[in-house]
Amino acid sequence: MNVNNITTINTTYRMFSAFTDKIESDAKFTFSVSDNLTSKSFETSAGSKILEGYRPPFDSTTIRRMKDVGGFLMGKTNMDEFGFGTFSVNSAFGIPRNPFDIERSCGGPSGGSACAAAVFDHVSLGTSIMCPASFCGVYGLSPSYGRVSRYGLIDCGNSFDRIGILSFKASALREYLPIIVGKDVHDPTSMIQPDLKLGGKKMCAVAVPKQIIDNKKVSKGVIESFNRSIESLKSIGIDVEYVDIPTLEYSVSVYSIIATSEASTDLARYCGMRCGPQDGDYTLKFDDYFTSFRSQYFGDEAKKRILLGTLIRMAGYVDKYYNKALRVRESIIADYKRQFERFDAIITPTMPFISPKFDDVSKMSTLDSYKSEFLTATPIVTGMPHLSVTCGYSEGMPIGLMFTSDHWNENVLVDMAERWDCSFDVKHAEVNA
Amino acid sequence: MNKEIVKKTACVAHIALTDEELDRYSTDLDEMFRYFEILNDAPEIKNHGFNPVEIADVLRDDVPLMEIPSEDCIADMKTYDGYIKGPRLL
Repeated sequence: MNVNNITTINTTYRMFSAFTDKIESDAKFTFSVSDNLTSKSFETSAGSKILEGYRPPFDSTTIRRMKDVGGFLMGKTNMDEFGFGTFSVNSAFGIPRNPFDIERSCGGPSGGSACAAAVFDHVSLGTSIMCPASFCGVYGLSPSYGRVSRYGLIDCGNSFDRIGILSFKASALREYLPIIVGKDVHDPTSMIQPDLKLGGKKMCAVAVPKQIIDNKKVSKGVIESFNRSIESLKSIGIDVEYVDIPTLEYSVSVYSIIATSEASTDLARYCGMRCGPQDGDYTLKFDDYFTSFRSQYFGDEAKKRILLGTLIRMAGYVDKYYNKALRVRESIIADYKRQFERFDAIITPTMPFISPKFDDVSKMSTLDSYKSEFLTATPIVTGMPHLSVTCGYSEGMPIGLMFTSDHWNENVLVDMAERWDCSFDVKHAEVNA
Repeated sequence: MNKEIVKKTACVAHIALTDEELDRYSTDLDEMFRYFEILNDAPEIKNHGFNPVEIADVLRDDVPLMEIPSEDCIADMKTYDGYIKGPRLL
């Protein structure tokens, strides 16, 4: 898809919150990023009205690194407000539509990025990209926590935030991953990483958690594709073994508790001063001034998560929930590490169902929405790198297969994506412009 | 979930809730906390960090630098005489 009719395409799919169709003639490639990465060339709102109009004075490290090698930032993509959501319906600036069926969700939070990657055939960067990759039928690689600098990423969960790559082409992972990774003095969490070495070790053996099989939360279409994928992996020489990983069932709770706790502190800074709308009544006392802004400009899901996270951190709750969740997270990490003594990756479906229609999303309860991430929650809480590849289609919609490997082992995932691309026919969405 | 607790939490978080929001969030939070009870039986490891990977202390020399000019930083801020405007304290 060329970028000449980007305005028309965006009217249909609403993947961009901001874009330009004036591509620099000397650009080596175009790319897009989710709207929680700061950029000098576009406003950055993270899908929230409380940041509307914010024009950062600096590029995030990832954007700068992409520009340094000749990339041209074509646009900022729509996303759930501050990354709060599973279906990209919590944005103040437009809900992206699935390229395979515009009545369905792109997944969240970085739904616009996956949509852009599917429609424009370019690379898009985003956070929490597995669900969008699965729903939009593109490759998604989320590197280890700390592998990609978070400088310039508007944080919503400090111990989870990661920037990953979305692309229709498996080869893009090998091409762009080395560009965005690496130490950055602006982000201490990036400073401990070993060098990225692509090539060498290949994936030879994978584990399938027994908890996935016969799990009633996984739809029939998804489990059938998943089972066919296992046969495909065996056919290319990969050993597959079923294992017991009992801690899987705790990941959603651990994620929800820690993420909302961190989010409630991260978002405390937004108060009608310094960035975003600042048109309040200065005669109000500061408590009232801050409260009036936050009540008016935060969206529904953001308010809910701030309340949940604030309550969890209060006396009487913090030990029972927050500190407990931190200890259980260590247990989940240890459980996964034990598997990596024998296996190169753990595989599951990426999402338990195909992209739902917007009508169905609106009927989901808060808890249903959180629980729908029970497969992606584990690699997120463990900080381990993971990859989603398209492994089948049901009702015409893509289904994702997810590989999780040990910390810093992105090389086996990049290699796996390319091997998978050779053996599976990934379909392009038919784009209506 | 006791609505008074949710109200108090909202006050701490600087968010004013409508009656409808108070009802709905109380129900949602109640549902979430009941779900979190699953962790009561979860195995745990005492020595935990706050990040999923080890984070090194990274120190640098204390060298003054100006990566972003201050006028660029405050370009979009409401200011008065070079100072950021805010609500009154008293």
